[in-house]
Order: sequence, then structure tokens, then C-alpha cells
Amino acid sequence: MDYTNFFLMKEELSLIGVMLILLVYDIFSGEKGKRHFQTLALGLLGLHTAVNCLPREAFDAFGGMYSYKPVMTAVKTILSAATIIVLMQVNNWLKDEERRNKQGEYIYLTLSTLLGMYFMISSGNFLLFVIGLEMASIPMAALVAFDKYRQTSAEAAAKYIFSAAFASAISLFGISLIYGSTGTLYFDDLAGSITGSPLQVMAFVFFAAGLFFKISLVPFHLWTADVYEGAPTTVTAYLSVVSKGAAVFVLFSLLTKVFGALMEEWQFILYALVLLSITVGNLFALRQKNMKRFLAFSSISQAGYIVLAVLAGTPQGLTALIYYVLVYACSNLAVFGVVSIIEQRSGKTDIADYNGLYKTNPRLSVAMMLALFSLGGIPFFAGFFSKFFVFMAAAEQGFYVLIFIALLNTVISLYYYLIVVKAMFVKDNERPIETIRSDRPAQIALALCMFGVLCLGILSVVYEGIGQLAL
Amino acid sequence: MDSSSLFLVVLLTGITLVVAGLGMAILISPRSFNLQKTESYECGLPTKGSSWMQFKVGYYLYAILYLMFDVEAIFLFPWSTVVRDLGLAGLFSIAFFIGVLALGLAYAWKKGVLKWM
Repeated sequence: MDYTNFFLMKEELSLIGVMLILLVYDIFSGEKGKRHFQTLALGLLGLHTAVNCLPREAFDAFGGMYSYKPVMTAVKTILSAATIIVLMQVNNWLKDEERRNKQGEYIYLTLSTLLGMYFMISSGNFLLFVIGLEMASIPMAALVAFDKYRQTSAEAAAKYIFSAAFASAISLFGISLIYGSTGTLYFDDLAGSITGSPLQVMAFVFFAAGLFFKISLVPFHLWTADVYEGAPTTVTAYLSVVSKGAAVFVLFSLLTKVFGALMEEWQFILYALVLLSITVGNLFALRQKNMKRFLAFSSISQAGYIVLAVLAGTPQGLTALIYYVLVYACSNLAVFGVVSIIEQRSGKTDIADYNGLYKTNPRLSVAMMLALFSLGGIPFFAGFFSKFFVFMAAAEQGFYVLIFIALLNTVISLYYYLIVVKAMFVKDNERPIETIRSDRPAQIALALCMFGVLCLGILSVVYEGIGQLAL
Repeated sequence: MDSSSLFLVVLLTGITLVVAGLGMAILISPRSFNLQKTESYECGLPTKGSSWMQFKVGYYLYAILYLMFDVEAIFLFPWSTVVRDLGLAGLFSIAFFIGVLALGLAYAWKKGVLKWM
């Protein structure tokens, strides 16, 4: 027995190392040391991201159980960078009286979900994939229930865990059918033995339903709005960006690698799902009064755009997908950052409460506006380019009608993003939210997101770099 | 046989088996009736008052800790039979494993789980 296989899993090992160091520090440090806990966590996670950001040669470890491709480094780096931003936003919230002695737990649970996503991304076998999926969803439910004495948080967690358990059960049933019809669970072997028999199509549909649930595509989206509204805002941000990004990438690599033979079937399924998600997400977002519910439906429709890149199924589609996830992470985390700062200081989450925000908090309003423009896809913000690349990848495969409908929906989405902007800048409010001085880490996080929103579209090197890895 | 009729056969077999099992049980099982059968528990003390009350679930923490050591012991047994062949690497692996579990215990201890409330 030797350890060479273990040491190949550099990203996972270093993340486990970070978790162990933080755990030991949390157990053995006194009251005074607790104050530096978050700084330490951010520093270690930053170091972890920096060490692992360079791609390596592709390899398989543990007899194909774990498989690495250079493009995974890009995804993992984006996910851990987004996690760092979430942890920066959470800084002040965790220092509250009622949460101060639970800040360690928040961070291990978050890192544990991140580790699960790492395994999910790099898995070369359905078993490792399922372990990763569970490792990513069970701590997530604990995070959703983090404010356990607030009823909505507990309710959201119950909804999340039940739906997640149901989705993984269905997914596992699909995997068992795949094993029954082919006799293997290794992705490499499956690619050859999936022939497109009806049983395998059924197995695929069951399996994919579990992943669609995680990405919250319509009609698997019913949990989304309630969970997003009930969960603590920073957890919602994490759920909508990191968790979704990982699941979409995995969906892409599984569909193209394992289920390549079923291409006709999954293109048909995804076609319908993209159409439904974009349209239903948008139409429901129009009617929302609560900021977090509004963002939940907006994220459903954004997920539809990301899956449009999956539908293309080409290396270009993969590039567009990763780029979209990166830009979406920047814009959505910026919006959630502002929502979370405002919720922490004033407890308000309704869109009507944002009336007149510009008069009292000009900087937060401008940041929010830029991020919403990027989400809506207004030209020269990063969101425009990410949507453009996704459409381009899909157009090359000839999905013109779908792209046309997606474009129409972009206009609808602009309308509701602008409603929020109008509330902040145009409408008056008798009792506006008082001027907020946000804490330093949250400011830095917001600045980083703004940098992404403004510059990612112009820095073509990012898109090209991802494109090189995705080939 | 093409796939749709195969699917139909599978579906019908499934329905038939379930219905047959339940139907047989209804038809051939002996039946007797007395008043006690309607109670929640056929044996034991009759309940007094409402059972919708709060009760202490302090034991679950001990159950979790017990489970932790139980799993540890299960893994130690097979390890101990092959430890000679595994050499130093095996020793380090098990040390890491026990170390992580010990950290879990230390965490629980620190958080005051071991104190009976």
C-alpha cells in the first residue's frame, strides 16, 4: 500500500487540511483566539485556492474512481473563490451575539459542502459521485437551518432535506437501473456500454431528475423559493451560486461523457426544461414582493440560461458554461451581498423597503444596480458577454428557436431587474433604510464582485483561458 | 417483443404481484376481534393523559457518540488482522483515522455535550 494515489488528489487533500486546522484551532483556542478565527479561515482558504489554481495533466486515480481533467481546476477555483466571497460577507453576521459560538460550525459545514462538490466534480464512478452529492447536500440542510430558533429557517431546512432526500432516492434508483443494464458504474466503461435501450433511457431520466433538482430547473424548482426565503441570506447566496455551479458542470460532463449515446433523448429533455425554466422563472419573478423570493426565481431563470450551454454539448458550450458560472457568481454574490448587509442592519427584505435607498446608501445602491444590470445582460457588463457566449454555443448547434425565446425572456428579465433599480433610485420612501456603514470584509467582497462585473467581459483572456482548458 | 409491450408486461406484473399478495392476505388470514386491538399498544400500561407533550431527547447525543466509537471498532478489527502486511503505511492510516475521530470527541467535549443536563 502506498499513498501516491492519495497525493494525486491535491485539491481535496488541501481542503481537508484546511478543515482539520480550523477544527483544531476552534477546539483548542480560547475566547481570545476566537476573534481571529474568521481571519484564519479566510487566509487558509485563500492559500488553498492560490495553491491549487494551476491546472495539471489529466490523470485517473484509484483505478478510475477519481478522474481529473485540467478544466476541473478552473471550476474548482471558481467555486472556492466564490466560497471565499461568501465567507467574507458572512463575517459580521457570524459575530452576532447568538451566533458567535457557532461560527466554527458555519465554516466547517460550508467547507464540507465544498469538499463534496469537489468529489462530485472529479468523480469517475457513480459511487463517488453519490458520496459527493450527499456530502454536498446534507451539510447544506444544516446550514439552511443555521438560525434554528427562527421558524422560517427551520421550515426551509425541513423542506430542503425532504426534497433533497427524495431527489437523491430517485437519482440512486436511476443509477441502480444503469448498473443493472450495463454491469458497471465507471464512467469510462459506461460510455461504451450505454446503447440507448428503453431501460437505459428510463434510468437516465431518473438519474438526471436528481441533478435537475439540485440545479432547480422547472419543474423541479418547487423547493427553491421557500428555501431561499427561509435560509439565512448568506446561505442562500452560497446555495444559489456555488451549489448550482458545481451541479451544472457535473451535468455537462456526465451528459457528454457517459450519456453521449442518448444525445437525442437528453437534448429533447433539456430543450423542454430550458424553455420552461427561463419562462416560468421569469414570469414568477415578476410578481414577487420579497427580495429573496425574487432572487430565487431570477436564479431559476438564470439556471435555464446556463443549461442552454449544456444543451450545446460542445467544448465551446463547456467554455461558455464555466464563464457563465463565473460571471453569475460575481453578479449574484454582489446582489446577495447588498441584500444581506441591509437585512443584517435593518431586518428588511421586501422590495418596497428598498424605495429611496439611493438617498441614504448611494454606494450600496450603485453596486446593486451594476450587479442587476449584469444579471439582466445589459451590454458591456460581464453578464452580456456570458449570455452572448452561451447563445453563440447553442446557435452553432442550431437551436435558433430556443435562442429566440431566450432572447425574448431576457427582455422580460430586464423589466423586473429594473423594477428594483427604479425602487432604489426613483421612488420615494417616507421611512427609508438608514445609512449603513458596512464592515470591511463585506466591502472587500463587494469590491471584488464589482471588479468581476465590470472587467470580466472586457478581459478576454479569462474566456480564452477557460477555452484552452476545456478543449 | 418491442419495448412498449415489454414495459406493459413489467407494469402489469408489478401490479399483479402487489394486488395478489395483499388479496391473498385478506382472503386467507385468520381474523379475530376484541376491544384491545384498537388501542395503540396491545400490551403494557394504558396511557394516561395526552401523549403530545415535550420530553427530553438528551440521549441522542450519547447515541451519536456511541455510534462513532462503534464504527471505529468495526474498522479496527479488519485492520488488526492485516496490520503486519500493511507495514508503516497501515499504521499511519489508522492513526489518522483515530485522530480524526478523537477530534470529533474533543469537539463534542468542548461544546459541553458530555455534561448531563
